[in-house]
Amino acid sequence: MALLSEVYEALENIVGPENITEEPATLDSYAYQWMAELVTDVTGGSKFFDRPEAVLVPGSVEDVQAIIKACNQYKIKYHVFSTGWGPWAAVPSAGQILMDLRRMNRIIEINEQNMFAVVEPYCVAAQLQAEVMKVGLNNHISGAGSGTSVLANACAFQGGGPDVMYFSSPQDSILSIEWVMPTGEILRTGSMGSDLGWFCAEGPGPSTQGIIRGSLGGAGGWGVITKIAIRLVNWPGPAQMPIEGTAPSYRTQLPEENFKAAFPAFPSLQKFADAIYRIYDSEIGYIAHRQFVMWGDELQAAFLKIVTDPSKQLCDIPELLETPEIQQLTKEMQRNFQFIMVGMTPRDLAYQQKVLDLILKETGGWNIALVEEPDMQQYVLLFMLKLCFKSVNFTATGGFIDTYNSVASPDVWASGEIEAGKALLKKYAGNIADCGDQAMGPIGGQGGGGVTGWEDFVFYDPQDSESSKAAADCSDEGDRLKAVQGRPPGGMLFGLARSTHADVDIRAKKLSKSPEYNWQRKLKETLDPNNVGSGNYFWGADLSKEESS
Amino acid sequence: MAEKKDALIKIVGAENVIDDPVTLDVYSMDHSFVTPMMPLMVVNPGNADEVQGIVKWANQTKTPLVPVSSGQPHFRGDSVPSSEGAVIVDLSGMKRIIMMDRRNRVAIVEPGVTYSELQPALAKEGLRLSMPLMPRASKSVLGSVLEREPITNPRYAWSLNEPLRCIETVMGNGEMFRTGELAGGGVSTSAREEAKLVPIEELMEKRKLTQETALYQYGPGQFNYHKLVSAAQGTMGIVTWASLRCEVLPKVQKFLLVTSDELDKIIGFAYKLLRIRFHDELMILSCSSLAAILGEGPEQISSLKKELPPWTLVLGLTGRDILAEERVEFMEKDIADIAQQFNLRLELEIPGATGEQVGDAVLNPAKELYWKLKNKGGCQDIFFLTTLNKVPEFIKTMNSLAESSNYSLSDIGVYIQPTHMGTSCHLEFSLPYDPGNEKELTMVKDLFTRVSDELSKQGAFYTRPYGIWADMAYSRNAEHMNLSKKLKGIFDPNNVLNPGKLCF
Amino acid sequence: MALEDLRATVSRCSKCSYCKWIPLAHVKSWRFAKGCPSIEYNKFQSYSASGRLSTSLSLLEGRSSYFDEGLVDIVFKCMLDGCCDVACKVNRYDLEPVEIMRQLRFKMIDHGCFPAMDVPYIDHLRKEDNMMLEPKADRGKWADGLDVKDLTQEKAEVAFHVGCKLSFDKDLWKIPQTVVAILKNAGVDFGIMGKDENCCGGRVCDMGYRGEFLKYAENNIDAWKNAGVKTIITTCSDGYHAFKRLYPEEFKFNFEVLHITQYLERLIKEGKLKFTKTVPMKVTYHDPCHLGRRGEPYVPWKGEQKKIRGQVLVYEPRKPRYNGALGIYDTPRNIIKSIPGIELVEMERNREYAWCCGAGGGVRERYPEFSGWTAGERIEEAKSTGAEAIVTACGWCERNFIDAIKDQNESMKVYDIVDLVAEAI
Repeated sequence: MALLSEVYEALENIVGPENITEEPATLDSYAYQWMAELVTDVTGGSKFFDRPEAVLVPGSVEDVQAIIKACNQYKIKYHVFSTGWGPWAAVPSAGQILMDLRRMNRIIEINEQNMFAVVEPYCVAAQLQAEVMKVGLNNHISGAGSGTSVLANACAFQGGGPDVMYFSSPQDSILSIEWVMPTGEILRTGSMGSDLGWFCAEGPGPSTQGIIRGSLGGAGGWGVITKIAIRLVNWPGPAQMPIEGTAPSYRTQLPEENFKAAFPAFPSLQKFADAIYRIYDSEIGYIAHRQFVMWGDELQAAFLKIVTDPSKQLCDIPELLETPEIQQLTKEMQRNFQFIMVGMTPRDLAYQQKVLDLILKETGGWNIALVEEPDMQQYVLLFMLKLCFKSVNFTATGGFIDTYNSVASPDVWASGEIEAGKALLKKYAGNIADCGDQAMGPIGGQGGGGVTGWEDFVFYDPQDSESSKAAADCSDEGDRLKAVQGRPPGGMLFGLARSTHADVDIRAKKLSKSPEYNWQRKLKETLDPNNVGSGNYFWGADLSKEESS
Repeated sequence: MAEKKDALIKIVGAENVIDDPVTLDVYSMDHSFVTPMMPLMVVNPGNADEVQGIVKWANQTKTPLVPVSSGQPHFRGDSVPSSEGAVIVDLSGMKRIIMMDRRNRVAIVEPGVTYSELQPALAKEGLRLSMPLMPRASKSVLGSVLEREPITNPRYAWSLNEPLRCIETVMGNGEMFRTGELAGGGVSTSAREEAKLVPIEELMEKRKLTQETALYQYGPGQFNYHKLVSAAQGTMGIVTWASLRCEVLPKVQKFLLVTSDELDKIIGFAYKLLRIRFHDELMILSCSSLAAILGEGPEQISSLKKELPPWTLVLGLTGRDILAEERVEFMEKDIADIAQQFNLRLELEIPGATGEQVGDAVLNPAKELYWKLKNKGGCQDIFFLTTLNKVPEFIKTMNSLAESSNYSLSDIGVYIQPTHMGTSCHLEFSLPYDPGNEKELTMVKDLFTRVSDELSKQGAFYTRPYGIWADMAYSRNAEHMNLSKKLKGIFDPNNVLNPGKLCF
Repeated sequence: MALEDLRATVSRCSKCSYCKWIPLAHVKSWRFAKGCPSIEYNKFQSYSASGRLSTSLSLLEGRSSYFDEGLVDIVFKCMLDGCCDVACKVNRYDLEPVEIMRQLRFKMIDHGCFPAMDVPYIDHLRKEDNMMLEPKADRGKWADGLDVKDLTQEKAEVAFHVGCKLSFDKDLWKIPQTVVAILKNAGVDFGIMGKDENCCGGRVCDMGYRGEFLKYAENNIDAWKNAGVKTIITTCSDGYHAFKRLYPEEFKFNFEVLHITQYLERLIKEGKLKFTKTVPMKVTYHDPCHLGRRGEPYVPWKGEQKKIRGQVLVYEPRKPRYNGALGIYDTPRNIIKSIPGIELVEMERNREYAWCCGAGGGVRERYPEFSGWTAGERIEEAKSTGAEAIVTACGWCERNFIDAIKDQNESMKVYDIVDLVAEAI
């Protein structure tokens, strides 16, 4: 149903006619969504969710505020995104307008001395990183890669990634936030709210930041965050990473006295877990991630050969798998991860390497020799430090979701969960890509380690309805298996795509028994009384009201 | 009154309900300048169920509650009732260390556990908890952590809440709630069928199978509840246990001292160390602060003040597990190189102090008499968050105001604690005084108020807004205040938890 | 392949937005991280490659109509510069953003949906064999007095194809004139078509008029055959792309195709072109899209998409990637660097991920403001290097830069590589 002309005009007056549209193909470009084809009860298998009623591209926090106030006035729901890759990007239901924040893309401040930067929503991690590296700093990049919004990474969803163990989790890296609340007031949290600069997230008193995001963020349905200050870490490398290589096999050569990539590998998952704990305790490592196993323990070696050789393609997989070299590598790499050591000084790097060697000795592990080859070393350093290749999640089949594994301690992996994840994927192999163990994720999912957050990758063909169905079934089965064990469900992505597009009343009933969603209902009733947020801020139904009515 | 007493006795037992005037008098005031107010009663719950019972009762009877975790003495004013007829909920008797896990480096404690009790217990497990500077012997670990007291090792301050992880809390409306990984059911947004809270012991048994670590503190859902009760002065919920991230107990510890007359130099040096995380404990102390820490009494403190340099950077270097000595060794070498760039030196000993002595003090809770009271019997602290580079400006203002009040500059203690991985800095001024001297008391009271006000105008961020700081802090951020009130209205709709504090 | 044959492909876009940026590995600053002028200027998602893929799907599924009012703008307000293609293909072996957008254009034209601004250009093309809005009779005027073999009358092994832009843009005549002098001096047996030279058809093809393109392609091939030509040298990067990539795709094509820079490099290596003068100048080089990432040679392929390991998409036999890796990047740089006195500095976005000049794909003709803005962005980037001059190897780029510099009152000089060579010989 189109917006009333009065409403359209009001919105047009805010952003200007060139920044609002109802054009059908444009609306469809916003309705098109990765995973839409899996949420069959909503899309019927189509790639399109509901169209927004209109798309607006605001240019300032004042624009955003005016839009939200107009939405409250006219009772129109709004949704918002930064880069639009997240599974929550499409409007959750019909009848909503969508704010595309791409015009709000500035780096407001880089405070080198106190190590933080202030950014707007459409500043992506690659841009911020390029600028802060010039002053010897570096920023967190979520596992979704450097093409995603710094702000959305930290606030919109989960936001973890390979660097969290050293950089700290995004929730902890956030300093002050500027948030346009669901009723249109502008809240600046922490020190910035008192006009004292962006350096402190909390207070005064209880931190209101806690209501802007929790374990997950508002996914576009809980006001609009228009600026965040984010903590940075030291970067002892060059002001600009030198990039070489023929497309797409780019690589970087970094000073050997400060940078080293390793692939620690282990004889068993228990030893793997033991090593992780040792790494936590010895506090070495800048980036630590189970990255390349995303292609499966059976294919990761072949894939690495392909992506580092511009003449190779995926059709080379079968031939590569036949070679003794790849067969040997595949075996050796079965339980490995990617480990980037960055020494703030040469002595620091030397110490870290020595510690790693001892850990490997202790656990019977080894470093994969492949990563010592200069081209591979340089590729891995680039991959992990810039996270510039992360659309690689879709390389194999064009479609990807996750299943089974989730946030857990390293010992969980040793307890059989890696094998269980692999077995689950194998069950559906054929209709999903047959790759083996694909449990990918950070070695340390919090600052200093403690828990990890792994997800079993599922590669499916979005164009093939049987493959799509298999992926969905695999994700659901993963959740069921976890529930039986009393463990939290993995498969966040499909679950999120489904729940964000679910009928909100049915969803609210399902969530009614969860204490947190009851609190969230109260928060929503208080802070979004006109219920104009898109619906991605979840709530549980008030059963007492329902029973009495 | 009798009715209320009976009701509380039913919840906690007669021996845990106290209303004798002597006891009440103790709780009616503290070392701060807040207006004293007699509570109605003091109750000592023994477990979370009793706490919940008390809160539910308070809601029914509209009785204000003032949660207190630490033992006496108190300093901030937050444990003194602001409303008449308040009941003190003294949690200091809930002393269980519920769990300690070396592998996952986590412990779960009840509110009454003090640092003096916890650290030795953790040490037996090969662990240690990051601590603020010399908490008093009766200081509750939970109380300190919830109030966002800065820890002495900025490297472990991943957030200002560290080392806090998961909590169990009784909200102001009487609902029990758990956060993070121990909420049960994980971190996704999918529904959970059961919202039952199994007893923590059962949960710990269960987690041996499910291998939850009690470390993931976020959520559940889209709200970080642990932030709601932090620096809340007990106004949002009463926390009945918390999981805490622990350090590995050091194998090797070395404390080095770096001194200068020029604070700017030391700050520049500190920034370098913070930048590359080449430090463990790291703080800057003025001569009088260090003297107060090391001196046993007024005479020794006075004598130390003559010996010690104006500014001392205290640097702890730790080797914990693998290659412990090597870590300390290489770091010391690199840090010495950096110090040279600033014309500074790393010393094991300085006039008046050795690194070992300072380390010993910094790494342990204060002994019987709280160290800040050793000098003159009383002390007022003014503290706030800022950034390290702004510290000298605040010191100038402090000194100027002290001079105008005829307060001796050499008595002012300055404690500069970088926090949150070096992004912000806790700055604390201590004003020792003789509380028995009426004139001095009045002068310090006046100075405290003026300094608080002036520093606020200058840019001090009272992120922990005790007493008069609350108005100063909240008046600067109207939206935050409005929102805080709305949150209070949700989580404590009858305003039973410590009414009159913060902006409530 | 027609658009409907690419339906499966368009459905596999994940909306990662890589098409909007240069390959993320190469981002060196906030300012110059963007790769897609279309979405930067037009803002809405539909103006990105990803957006046009979903637009294609929307059309194929009947969710929107070719006749929707805003669709023409979405489809055609893009240079088809191909930076999106390069960035996408860093990780995707199965997506073809540029090809899909081309097919979308063909479909629009088939439906009779085109920008109104096309009319004078297409009409003129059909009448005068050029879209420069100049009389065909004037096409050879640049060569007046140069005494060059006329390939309509005589035979020669080498055809020098000047291209529409350089034939009609008087300010740029020095370029083909210099080429003539160089080729003569090197003793090359070459000729030109003069006033009978026709448009290569590359531009009109990118604009969506496949029929027109085929006509010109066929015509040109016949003309060269008749003249006994074996090698085509061109100064026009658009032409280079057309001959190297489009012509062999549609026709039997046995000619060697060289861009003038390749020929100059050959002459330098053979000692037939020597630089005797110093040109003290700090310059930066702009990679023309049609010489660089879109200038990769056509590789015949006939195969199919298969699945291995269950669902992994592969092509059998191996399919040419066309990811920009094989474009001409070093040759122009080698020439520049060999000129005495020149200091070559690089812009942040170069080689296969260079920012477009804004002239291609019909944008200069249809959307002059957008075209000018795009060029202006590139000039800003050139300025940021400290260079005095921007050097390139395409007349369209040059004209767009000259106009942008004038509009913005900038002082940067614009050179073709041939201009620099002329100064050094």
